[in-house]
Amino acid sequence: MTVQDVLSQFNEIFIDVLDDEDIKLNLETTADDVEEWDSLSHIQLIVAIENKYDIRFTASEMESYRNVGEMCNGILNKLAAKV
Amino acid sequence: MTTVKDNKEILSEANNSLLNHILKTIKEKNPRHGKKITKNLENIGDEYYKKSAEFFNKYALFVKGEGKDVDYGVDCYLKMIGIMMYEQVDFFRTGEYSCKSFEEANKAVYSNPEVMESYMHGLLLSQFLWNHHYKVLEFFIEQINSVKGQVNKYLEIGGGHGLYLSEAMEILGTNDIDYHCVDISAGSLEVAKKFVDNPKVSYRQYNIFDYDEAEKYDFITMGEVLEHVEDPVALLEKLGSLLKPDGMTFITTPTNSPAIDHIYLFRNAPEIIEVIHKAGFEIVKDFKIYSEDVSEKRAEKLKVPMMYAALIKKK
Ligand SMILES: C[S@@+](CC[C@H](N)C(=O)[O-])C[C@H]1O[C@@H](n2cnc3c(N)ncnc32)[C@H](O)[C@@H]1O
Repeated sequence: MTVQDVLSQFNEIFIDVLDDEDIKLNLETTADDVEEWDSLSHIQLIVAIENKYDIRFTASEMESYRNVGEMCNGILNKLAAKV
Repeated sequence: MTTVKDNKEILSEANNSLLNHILKTIKEKNPRHGKKITKNLENIGDEYYKKSAEFFNKYALFVKGEGKDVDYGVDCYLKMIGIMMYEQVDFFRTGEYSCKSFEEANKAVYSNPEVMESYMHGLLLSQFLWNHHYKVLEFFIEQINSVKGQVNKYLEIGGGHGLYLSEAMEILGTNDIDYHCVDISAGSLEVAKKFVDNPKVSYRQYNIFDYDEAEKYDFITMGEVLEHVEDPVALLEKLGSLLKPDGMTFITTPTNSPAIDHIYLFRNAPEIIEVIHKAGFEIVKDFKIYSEDVSEKRAEKLKVPMMYAALIKKK
């Protein structure tokens, strides 16, 4: 799986959780760019991502991600560590 | 020429400086959270600015008396938000509250004065930083106004930070009314005593299940305690036993709202209403508000916390 694959899967998760069909993520997207992305929906996004990839984030990981690219890479690292 | 400012202007300026300072600090230290509460405070109405100005000024004086400043409160608030975030993650993962028993909550939270003091400062500020907390306070004020003149004996259970008590005393007055405040936590009682700052109140440290009083009460307020016990029906029955036959009670409790000391999970308002009825009460008036400005359908899907408040009386 590439970063681009994860990015497009993320886009679907964001659309579903944030209920906004118009969301178009790129690797630099931050919470400032997406109106509905705040502290509560951040946790909902994180847990939706955890369930999709069957992984768990640590608390400090959840807080550290500053943009979508960092989250995508975080996932890829976790998936790589699993195999 | 000197300009004469009216009261409201002065208040709103004072308010702007403190409220803006607090919101700015929160945004710096926790941007996603700052974004959320600022968004939720939009369109809250003019009355909020007047009322919150009075509150933040009172709060600043209170902490000054402790040799601290408003930033201490903001730190407490952010600490509470951090802990709540972990609980929130756990709740979305498991669908349950992590704390399973009263004993656990008592040991980790209520009986620890430092934890409790910080928690109550955080919770106190949330009353004016969270749209839904503020709206519930407004609803409370409306209900207290409706019983003005009918109350001689007033009890608050789990008064915590003391804001509700202080509002009630302002409306009902202090002449010939006995005010009692029962809380299990010494830390809470300390904060309430200093925030309310009125010698007319008798503060009593009890687990409410062990508390009794020969002469019953006309009015009982119990904000956000129902979710802290294992058996909410038993708690309301206890409350009923402390109430005069025609007495009134004001309660609040949240749904889907994980916290270190929340035990009983209400998933929706009908579950709360069922508990109220089971304990022998009827609802005079109630009010619901979600913590986020979303449709009911989305709120249910995403388990957005809701506050439920009601004025109830015995059937
Ligand atoms: C979340 S705070 C609520 C504070 C305030 N009433 C409000 O609505 O914001 C809960 C308070 O209830 C107290 N409490 C919890 N269980 C209790 C019990 N069994 N008996 C008496 N007080 C209790 C806690 O110590 C705490 O001060």
